Amino acid sequence: MLNVRLFDITTLLFGVASVNYVVALYGKRETIARIGTWVCIAAAVVSTVAIGTRWAESYRMGIGRIPVTNLYESLVFFAWSVNLFYLLVEWKYKSWTFGAFVMPIAFGTMLFAFTNESSIEPLVPALQSYWLHAHVITCFVGYAAFAVSAGVATMYLMKAKREKRNVTGGVVALFPSTKILDDLVYKAIMWGFPFLTAGIITGAAWANYAWGTYWSWDPKETWSLIVWLVYAAFLHARVTRGWHGRRAAILSIVGFLATIFCYLGVNLVLSGLHSYGGG
Amino acid sequence: MAEGKRNESLMDRVWEFFTSLKLAIFVIIILAIASIIGTIIEQNQPLEKYRQFYSDGTIRIFDSVGLFDMYHSWWFLLLLVLFTVNLVCCTLDRLPRVVKVVRNPKTTLDDNLEKTLGLVDRWKRKGELETLAATYREAMTSAFARPRVTENAGTLHLYAEKGVISRFGVYVTHLSIIIIFIGAIIGNVFGFKGYANIVEGESASVIPTRGGTTKVDLGFAVRCNKFWVDYYPSGQPKEYSSDLSIIENGREVLRKRIEVNDPLQYKGVWFYQASYGSAGATTVTVGVNAPDGSSRETVTLSPGQKAEIAGYGTISAIDYQGNFQGLGPALLVVLEKPGKQPSQFWLLESYPEFDRQRRDSRYLSFAGINEIFYTGLQVAQDPGVNIVWVGCTLMVIGIMIAFFLSHKRLWIRLSRGGDGRVDVVLAGSTNKNRLVFEKIFEKIQADMKAVKV
Repeated sequence: MLNVRLFDITTLLFGVASVNYVVALYGKRETIARIGTWVCIAAAVVSTVAIGTRWAESYRMGIGRIPVTNLYESLVFFAWSVNLFYLLVEWKYKSWTFGAFVMPIAFGTMLFAFTNESSIEPLVPALQSYWLHAHVITCFVGYAAFAVSAGVATMYLMKAKREKRNVTGGVVALFPSTKILDDLVYKAIMWGFPFLTAGIITGAAWANYAWGTYWSWDPKETWSLIVWLVYAAFLHARVTRGWHGRRAAILSIVGFLATIFCYLGVNLVLSGLHSYGGG
Repeated sequence: MAEGKRNESLMDRVWEFFTSLKLAIFVIIILAIASIIGTIIEQNQPLEKYRQFYSDGTIRIFDSVGLFDMYHSWWFLLLLVLFTVNLVCCTLDRLPRVVKVVRNPKTTLDDNLEKTLGLVDRWKRKGELETLAATYREAMTSAFARPRVTENAGTLHLYAEKGVISRFGVYVTHLSIIIIFIGAIIGNVFGFKGYANIVEGESASVIPTRGGTTKVDLGFAVRCNKFWVDYYPSGQPKEYSSDLSIIENGREVLRKRIEVNDPLQYKGVWFYQASYGSAGATTVTVGVNAPDGSSRETVTLSPGQKAEIAGYGTISAIDYQGNFQGLGPALLVVLEKPGKQPSQFWLLESYPEFDRQRRDSRYLSFAGINEIFYTGLQVAQDPGVNIVWVGCTLMVIGIMIAFFLSHKRLWIRLSRGGDGRVDVVLAGSTNKNRLVFEKIFEKIQADMKAVKV
């Protein structure tokens, strides 16, 4: 299928971009990073076309549905969002150093997607709902924002550690200041949190329309609540108790680990109503 | 507790405990950790299932602390109560202060306030206080918001603000959580969740509740007229649907074909397509035809039931095969004619003329198997659900307000300096989104400096 070929190309481009950014960072070569950025833009175009193609192909197969309904599709959609978020951040903050920490997340996601079944399967009755669109898109945009936050939090921890030891130079010298990194860790969560909230609410509304219960403490629901609580704790700790820097960065990484577990761990390890989403 | 607070009353200490953010963060984290337990230990499973994983002793301990129905255990509910009390207390503690600040904004820029502000610029220029104030007022209005002008001992103060509502975003969010809880409680107390397995053609008016021993009388009946399963060409199920009728006082008042994700609602009671199954009783339709075409009739047979065909004999169906020797669905029938040995033969659904080969006064055909299904419905009544949705909507709005709006304030102070020129002070502050505000500040700054009087 054409869409899968295009996603394979996207995987390759994400890989090239990740390598570019890492090499640029450790080799201190600005030019290589510039190429990385263009590769990311190319990947954004190719993956967007791929999603569109997959959508169109599903209609041609007589199934006709948005391509965010199984593990493969959700992974590529997540990687697509991470890439776009990254480009936005690079453009806004005028620094490509984030690329070495964020793009490998997109690349790793695509590699994982590559190992999963990629054919277009018809939807089981439970998934045939307009709520699907709103639910999946809001959730994954939120997840992507948390991924960016965790990537930047890692950069913060690296830079802060060096600064504490009074080591100058090295890779971290190219990073934006810790103040900017710290601010970005928060900003990304500030965008992710409302999306996650909307994702949980649309999920609840859908569950209520499909089963008559908006909340049944199924493991996926519960883990989404856990993720929500972790970021709620982050926001309260930051806004009112002045948790900045190291502790905030660690909490952001913990939040993203919880997100990954909510997204993948629950399907792989636990059982529940979302089992069909496990692909 | 800090020194010097020793003589606080007990009430104060309790209040301080419940309004502290430490408690809030603690409860949030404990709720998160507790929730994890419930996802690791499967909830509400039959005892046999737990026996596969845990020893009897462990089961007893887990059961005594409610770990098998953890989200409804007393201690989890207590955590939720603590969470709510904390939320309410924090709001009661802080909201009045915010209201006070918002209702009585500092419209004059004094030295103390000036020191606390992040953005301050001061310069001197020629001109009259009043004329300058009028032009600055326009500059502020066009680039930001219309200012209030206050005169105080020969000094003119201009003050404008925007986005006051951002101060309330967090309280809207907190309120929304409480509204959701209220909705959930109302739903739990006044609503019910049940299920009904209704065989095609039958109806139900008393619904057993899920997991409970009680039953709910709906006051009307729901009848399943028919149930279908549709398949994709690949053989996967495409849709389950039930044709349902609501019958009240002996009359059909509503009829709808429901599907998964498309329920039926009557008088606040919702019926959702949840499952289905074979009702056990299956009938087959057999055609009885005269070879010359002069008579065609059909009989429906249940398992073990004999049907008398007037002027011919008695038939019964004794076996069915979905694919008989590659010829498709087939039915094994027994024919008993008076004074003759019963005979047994197969009828093929795909070849309705096949039985002509018996060269009898009638030939039989197999017109199909009619499997009788039951439809599995989830039944729910939740008078609190709309309150929950109001809460959810407010939550999203509240979070947006809290994150994306900011309370921006601008002050201008004009006073006559000792050298006869006018001292101008422009100051601003914002509680969020400083970069955007700095742009506004710089715009006004430039506009003001460009003013010719």
